[in-house]
Amino acid sequence: MALAQVERLTFSYPGVERPALSNVSLQVEPGEIVALLGPSGSGKSTLLRALAGLVPHFHGGRFDGRVEVAGRDTRRFSPADLADEVASLFQDPEDQIVFGRVENEVAFGLENLGAPPAEIWPRVHGALADAGIARLAERRTETLSAGELQRVCLAAVLAVGPSLVLLDEPTSQLDPEGAEAILDLACELGSAVVVSEQRPTLPLERCDHVLFVEDGRLTLDAPRDEALVRLDPAYLPRQAANLSQHGGEGESLVRADNVSYSYGSARALDGASLELRRGEVVALTGRNGVGKTTLAKIVAGLLEPEAGEVQRHGRVCYLSQDPGRYLVTERAEREASLAVGGDLIRAREALARVGLAGLERRHPRDLSSGERERLALASVLVAEPDVLVLDEPTRGVDPPRKTDLVEILLRESADRATLIVTHDLVFAGDVADRVVHLEARELARA
Amino acid sequence: MSPVPAAALLAALAAVALIAERGLVVAAIAVGLFAACLTAPRGRRWIYLTGTLVSALSVFVLSPLVSHVGTHVIWEGPKIPVIGYLDVTSEELAAAGIQALRLAAVGLAFAAYALLLDLDRLLQAAGFARRSVLAVGLATRLVPTLERDAAGFVEALRGRGVHVDGIRGHARLLSPVLSGSLERALSLAESMEARGFGRAGRTRAPGPPWTRLDRLALVAAVLLCVGAVWL
Repeated sequence: MALAQVERLTFSYPGVERPALSNVSLQVEPGEIVALLGPSGSGKSTLLRALAGLVPHFHGGRFDGRVEVAGRDTRRFSPADLADEVASLFQDPEDQIVFGRVENEVAFGLENLGAPPAEIWPRVHGALADAGIARLAERRTETLSAGELQRVCLAAVLAVGPSLVLLDEPTSQLDPEGAEAILDLACELGSAVVVSEQRPTLPLERCDHVLFVEDGRLTLDAPRDEALVRLDPAYLPRQAANLSQHGGEGESLVRADNVSYSYGSARALDGASLELRRGEVVALTGRNGVGKTTLAKIVAGLLEPEAGEVQRHGRVCYLSQDPGRYLVTERAEREASLAVGGDLIRAREALARVGLAGLERRHPRDLSSGERERLALASVLVAEPDVLVLDEPTRGVDPPRKTDLVEILLRESADRATLIVTHDLVFAGDVADRVVHLEARELARA
Repeated sequence: MSPVPAAALLAALAAVALIAERGLVVAAIAVGLFAACLTAPRGRRWIYLTGTLVSALSVFVLSPLVSHVGTHVIWEGPKIPVIGYLDVTSEELAAAGIQALRLAAVGLAFAAYALLLDLDRLLQAAGFARRSVLAVGLATRLVPTLERDAAGFVEALRGRGVHVDGIRGHARLLSPVLSGSLERALSLAESMEARGFGRAGRTRAPGPPWTRLDRLALVAAVLLCVGAVWL
């Protein structure tokens, strides 16, 4: 008997005419690992929320069809009632943390589910150990990195021991090793796992079954081997291209020598060096917490190093992680014009270059997540910087949009130096001329 | 020490600091609490300690100027409308010193509460009005989150070469920061519901058993309060 069953599910969010899911039917078997793929905005997250009962209970909207998990109809059982059978792990761990200390956070779900008090701490510490973060039990959650926080959220899932685990892009902020560890842990639970990912290589290597959602419709529901034949090639696993480690020949635009930086008493960067030359695209890689973002901010002039020297020539622009979150005006064209003193003509040109022509007067928060990211990109490209620094530009970006991003970045790359901080090695291989790999407390030589 | 007796002891020390008339007693409490706060991580403690110090110093500097007590004038200032003469007497200085010490002691008691106690467990120990208690806990965490979000906006704009200056510049960020925090709050509420919050039959993870130190702290808190009122 199937653990989860979706029958002819059609769902529209409140006030939205177009359904987010149309006539979707599927089954998830106990212990099965399912990769849920599809473009951004195609309905993957909505489907996961339907399996958790959050659609329609939390979001409202129009719900037709039936979803049943462990024999419980989600229309009659609330998400809280389903929480002993279904656990969800969302994209941004910061939006899931309730408590100030790690062990209390992991205990929260068990307390809600009415676990016997005597069992709670042993289960909490067992889950923390299974997630490889027993040492963090007493730490305050605000002091943890994104990768550590995501492991805390996973430990909270492990502690509950649900039959169905729903993972909504859980590795988007993690380095390849961290992402692999999280997915391995989830897949070894013995529970059924449905994992939605925009870096499909890892889930496709581990899954039994593949679902592909496009425009709210389930267009592929097949065992892994069959799916690998039928999938859009953009989603197929592939190896990253080998990149050179030698610098280019163009004019030197940024030179950072032996730079170091600390946040309070925590050393973030220790004697790193980097040179960027006009015409080259450089990928900056390395594990979570190694200081990539700190180095990128030093290159961009947002942080001044405590030690070492930085020389910059020309205008430097920096696009932060999750840039769609940091839009400040009420019209797309105004947002794009901020960097050029309100010049709307240049702003409209920049919007057209990233494919947002026609959306100039829209409120940034009314744009889709992908459109918001492109708006943020236009907001830095408009300044025609000599040095462009992008921090994790592919986070949450689907494979076809990554291809578009590569095209946009390469189109004008000859006129500037581009530094891209990324965990996405395939993307790095597609866009960069060379790679700089940053190691903890060692010099990054380029 | 368990959070409940620790909180009771801190509250008692703050109450004694407010009630006690001898400066030496208040100073001793302030010094003891300051030493306790120094055991917290430097990155977290500085804002509490700076805030307390600035508030206490403000009271010490300003209150002699606006009060009119004593006859031993040590400085004669100009006459200001409404307030009157800005004279400072030795009696006013002594009173200002005591008030500043009181404020410092209360501020440091709050700092020790925020810095050293497991607030999660303290709030959960309430055992009743769980939703309200949790709301208080989340609101406590909201301030640093808003701070981080605002810093993110400023940084994103600086990354484009746009500098955020003055009240007007920062006011422009108010709306997006609040919108962002509403989105965060919705995501958190969704996550909490998915984790079973609001379900009937909730249990509570047992706190560590009270030690002799915990019991002593509670007795000390009661004795301090009684003693302060009596004496």
